[in-house]
Amino acid sequence: MRYVSHLAIAAFTLSASLAGNANAADPIKVGVTVTQSPPGSVVQGTQVKDGLEVVAKMLNDQGGVNGRPIELVIEDTQGLPEKARAGVEKLITRDKVVAIVGEHQSSNVLAGMEVAHRYHIPYINTNGWADAIREKGYPEMFNPNNYNRRVAMAAADSIKKLGAKKVVAFAENTDYGIGLAKGIGEQLKAVAPEISYRFDTLDRAAKDYLPAILPLRADPPDVVVDVMLPPAAYIMMNQVYEQGIAPSAKTWFYDASGLADYPDFWQNVKEAGKGLLVFGLYHPKMQAPALAKTVGDAYTAKTGAQPNRLLYQAADSLLVLADALKRANSTDPGALVKALEETKYTGTRGEITFSKEAGYKNHQWLDIPYVTFQVTEIGQKVADTPLVEQPGQPLDPSKLARP
Amino acid sequence: MLTGALAADLAVNGLVTGLFYGLMAIGLALIFGVLRIVNFAHGEFYMVGAYAYTIVAARLGVPLVVALPFAFLFGAALGWVVERTLMRPLYANIGSWGLMRDEYAVIVTFGLSLLLVNLVDKAIGPYAFRAPALVSASRIVVGPALMSGQKVAAAGVTLAVLALIALFLRFSYWGRAVRAVSQNRLGASLAGIDATAVSSLVFSLAGGLAALAGALLSPIINASPDVGAFPAIKSYVIVVLGGMGSIPGAFIASLLLGLVESFGAVLVSYQYRDTFGLVLLILFLLFRPQGLFGERGREV
Repeated sequence: MRYVSHLAIAAFTLSASLAGNANAADPIKVGVTVTQSPPGSVVQGTQVKDGLEVVAKMLNDQGGVNGRPIELVIEDTQGLPEKARAGVEKLITRDKVVAIVGEHQSSNVLAGMEVAHRYHIPYINTNGWADAIREKGYPEMFNPNNYNRRVAMAAADSIKKLGAKKVVAFAENTDYGIGLAKGIGEQLKAVAPEISYRFDTLDRAAKDYLPAILPLRADPPDVVVDVMLPPAAYIMMNQVYEQGIAPSAKTWFYDASGLADYPDFWQNVKEAGKGLLVFGLYHPKMQAPALAKTVGDAYTAKTGAQPNRLLYQAADSLLVLADALKRANSTDPGALVKALEETKYTGTRGEITFSKEAGYKNHQWLDIPYVTFQVTEIGQKVADTPLVEQPGQPLDPSKLARP
Repeated sequence: MLTGALAADLAVNGLVTGLFYGLMAIGLALIFGVLRIVNFAHGEFYMVGAYAYTIVAARLGVPLVVALPFAFLFGAALGWVVERTLMRPLYANIGSWGLMRDEYAVIVTFGLSLLLVNLVDKAIGPYAFRAPALVSASRIVVGPALMSGQKVAAAGVTLAVLALIALFLRFSYWGRAVRAVSQNRLGASLAGIDATAVSSLVFSLAGGLAALAGALLSPIINASPDVGAFPAIKSYVIVVLGGMGSIPGAFIASLLLGLVESFGAVLVSYQYRDTFGLVLLILFLLFRPQGLFGERGREV
């Protein structure tokens, strides 16, 4: 009997020891929600997914995090909030991920974050710009990416510098579009109350925007602002151009969504792109930390494509999480949230810290670098476009070329 | 403020949009008239046509006057294959199918729609493509309106095709056969008309017309995997407004919907533009359920 019990103890000790070793080598599972099939933006989803995979490989090649490899568990949301919500639920309850990253659509972040909040799992928002995401004040939410208020401030400052008196924006019917269009109005009221501003909400799924555009022909505004994403934005831009409204000698076309950075921009926009002023979160002429080049080169080697803003946003999302995991030396959600709050990490775009203020600043990296550039030729690469606004400096109208 | 110039602009734009709706909706009306089913994959024929034209014209450099008929033939061939493989059980003498005919049609066409969207998404990619325009002018003055050259050219081709379809249905043997089968399938069969061949022809023609609509508009709406969803919804509304299965009804309803949407967007609000058709649909279902040219019922 004694022999049997000794054997049982030995077996238990051995198995516990083996299990301990296995745990140490077990991958750290990180949940990813991205769009991989229509109707959402698969272009964005693919850029984010590729960026995350590049960084996960770099981390794993360097020995992982605390000796454990990073494993990405990817869920396709199709760009639909209900799928994002279900995807996050599955990632947390079935796959046991330690955090969620990757989401690139505000509506989906707003859906998925509710689930993460319920389970107290950290959620790194890769590209949800809606201020409502921050204003919820959830402790699990961290935003190392752009936010609508930032674009609204940038757009309002640029419009004022352009000397505009009348501005019309076309916004898509999403949390992102309506939120940003309203934000631009509020900022304009604050910095240039003399400017008349209104926005029209357009359906993303529609193909004919002429009934909304035609009334502008009789009295064109000084600036038309795009607050839409592809492919609808391309169709709207072409129709605005075909009606002779913008870009034109009278009217600037300001793109608040950074369209010129999209890989399919010139496949879909021809003359309508010439003269466009673009709010950009990435431009090859921007100064960036050395890590940006390493990540950019790895991305180009993997995909054959040039680096883009979503690559760097995705990279920083995972790098910030990996940094927090290292400092916390734990995957416990509470310890991870605490470590994320104390983040001071130089990623691919600069030194990232998270604000502790409430409202739209909640857990937000406030100093997101941005530029404004102008497209001066049809088919022009972003790298060849002139910068008309450097990071931290106002727009310089003397550098602008009238279409 | 609705000025005279803006009203003329809206009228021209509404009529042209209506023509494009018509090209899509007439195929759907034909299918319903002959097979008595609603084809939920109709929008995907539009998408396939947009891709066929874009790839052949832009990637392979085929002349546009060849690429356009190619898109029509590609859609027609796909329609023929779908009819042969998926639609035949609806009217073949398989006893068990008769009881669940409607369910089968809904499920199989809905499944086909999902299949085609995801197939194109994976095989070609999610990126949108703008096809080369039939005419190089980006702006053309049409009376009081300013339109893209492609839209004017597409409207011209659409008018010509719709006229050809009308002549075909009115005067040709197969056109008369289509009308006979849509009136009474059994009666037409007893009169010696091959109803199965007519079904095949109609599905091919509808597929070709939807594909042609997609090809004509691909330089304006940009081909993407989900591009067919919106015109398909419009087509369903039009077919009900015009009277299920009625070709003249579908044509008139298309123009009506184009005009209502165009003016409604300015007079009411652009945000409600896509609800105008649905409001019309509800009003028709309440007060004239047979549609503009449909019949309440038919006895033989």
